[in-house]
Amino acid sequence: MSLTDALFAAFSIPFMGRALLVMLVLAVVAGVVGVLVNLRGLEFISDGLTHAVFPGLAIGLVVGGTAGLVPGATIAALAGAVALTWLDRAGITADAAIAIVLTATFSIGVIVVSKSDDYTGALEALLFGRVLTIPPGEVVPLVVVSLIALAATAVTLKQQLFRAFDARGSRAAGNSPLTLDLVLNASIALVVVAAASTIGTLLVLALLIVPGAVARLTTRRLWWLFPIAALFAAVGSWLGLAAGFALSVGAGVDLPAGATIVGVFVVGYALVLLGSFAAGRIRAGLDTRPPSSGATRPTVVPSSGAPTRSAVGAAGEGR
Amino acid sequence: MTDSPVLRLVDAAFTHPGGGGVSGLRLEIAAGEAVALIGPNGAGKSTLLKGILGLVPRTAGSIEIGGMPGDTQAHARHGIVSFLPQSADLDPDFPISLEQVVMQGRYRGLGLFRWPGRADRAAVRRALASVGLDSLGARPFGELSGGQRQRGLLARALASEPRLLLLDEPFNGLDQPNRDALVDTIRSLKRDGVAVLVSTHDLELARLVCDSVVLVNGTQVSCGPVDEVLTLGNIQECFEGVEVEIDEHTVVVPGHEGH
Repeated sequence: MSLTDALFAAFSIPFMGRALLVMLVLAVVAGVVGVLVNLRGLEFISDGLTHAVFPGLAIGLVVGGTAGLVPGATIAALAGAVALTWLDRAGITADAAIAIVLTATFSIGVIVVSKSDDYTGALEALLFGRVLTIPPGEVVPLVVVSLIALAATAVTLKQQLFRAFDARGSRAAGNSPLTLDLVLNASIALVVVAAASTIGTLLVLALLIVPGAVARLTTRRLWWLFPIAALFAAVGSWLGLAAGFALSVGAGVDLPAGATIVGVFVVGYALVLLGSFAAGRIRAGLDTRPPSSGATRPTVVPSSGAPTRSAVGAAGEGR
Repeated sequence: MTDSPVLRLVDAAFTHPGGGGVSGLRLEIAAGEAVALIGPNGAGKSTLLKGILGLVPRTAGSIEIGGMPGDTQAHARHGIVSFLPQSADLDPDFPISLEQVVMQGRYRGLGLFRWPGRADRAAVRRALASVGLDSLGARPFGELSGGQRQRGLLARALASEPRLLLLDEPFNGLDQPNRDALVDTIRSLKRDGVAVLVSTHDLELARLVCDSVVLVNGTQVSCGPVDEVLTLGNIQECFEGVEVEIDEHTVVVPGHEGH
């Protein structure tokens, strides 16, 4: 099999074409949302959402078959987003408590799945995804879920960045932290829903976190972060699908497609990391940051302070 | 000073849900007037500023901003009021430029669906110029000095073109050039008709740029023209038993004041 076969011709096969379409949409959305995850440091909440989604997937599968996956996961993900937003807002920093709740939801999911006829097959599909076996009828729901996440993020993007940079300043400027967090966490949850159905719940985090991390390594320009993350995720998904196809069809090595995509992401990240080392760009971690401006410094008050009462008269001019 | 004051507090109190606050506030600030807010640490200066913003609940009295009762929705205030927090704990590695930070001041007016346009970029340039940082707009925010960052955040507060500007300890940690630049900025804001309420430990600053002073210590101790309020008696009453942790000034009132 030639390179062009793997990179282009392979995707004329219907199941490969569907996989590529869903993955490209998802990758772009995950890249954009992932930049915010990175800037806000929401990796833990994202991880929590992947766990919260699992019982929803499981119940959806048992109740409605594969057609029940996306609705079940969506309900669970949105409930999880609300719950995690509330936990975060209530200042519950006990990671252990959150971890217990989340592993509990995961075990509920496993128990539910165990009641299904095809236990191992279903479990494997939920954990590791089934990007190559997405039925035609599921393409539209997955794309729609992804696009809703993108729209919600895009509409609040200015305010999300403001909050990520300066949470207190954003609040003082009249932005509701609760609303912004709900929207962002719900967007993450929807990405998790779409990703869980394609590359599986165990690998979702790679899709949310690697592209954002690559963008942070690549640029210090705010608005470049988003196209870079989206482009990286899209190219990585495409190459991952192509590599999996080439290896399994061409070389007879049967690779799980989701894991292959994640593998390509990680290799891409490693290359970018090496490149940025080479470019001497690694600033973070070296910690050469200047002292913060908050240091209190004694202020000397000269005792000859001349009172100035000047500007009162000029006040009437208005703006 | 023709129309109603930009800010009017009548017997107002602001109380944190968990307790602690500031009460007995009677205060008016007219357009183009600057008022210094002075009191020991923990006296409720920041609480007062946040109360005006609607971030701390008002538990007594009334507030009027821009001639409108403060009970209209809190966010209605934000187009009128801007706030410069005491010290922003900001990540110097956050990938953002100075002018992008200042542009955040315009977001409120833009709402969710519009993106910054020509008028917003012009307002950002004006705000940067008014704090003397017009040449540094493209610089990453994290690479600026502490004083420049503080001025950058002031520019952000100005970019929304507020009628009332609240400054919380803006002079803390500033070196002399940055301090002078801030004094100049406040003076030019007053000329433009902006009302300024600035909390400070710096009595010298109060004399330099402020028309009146509000002394608070959990409750309002005194309020009026600088020379009448900054008397030894008032300051002793206000700072009594506080053991002068207010930076370095030993609460000495300049002698020529009399009292």
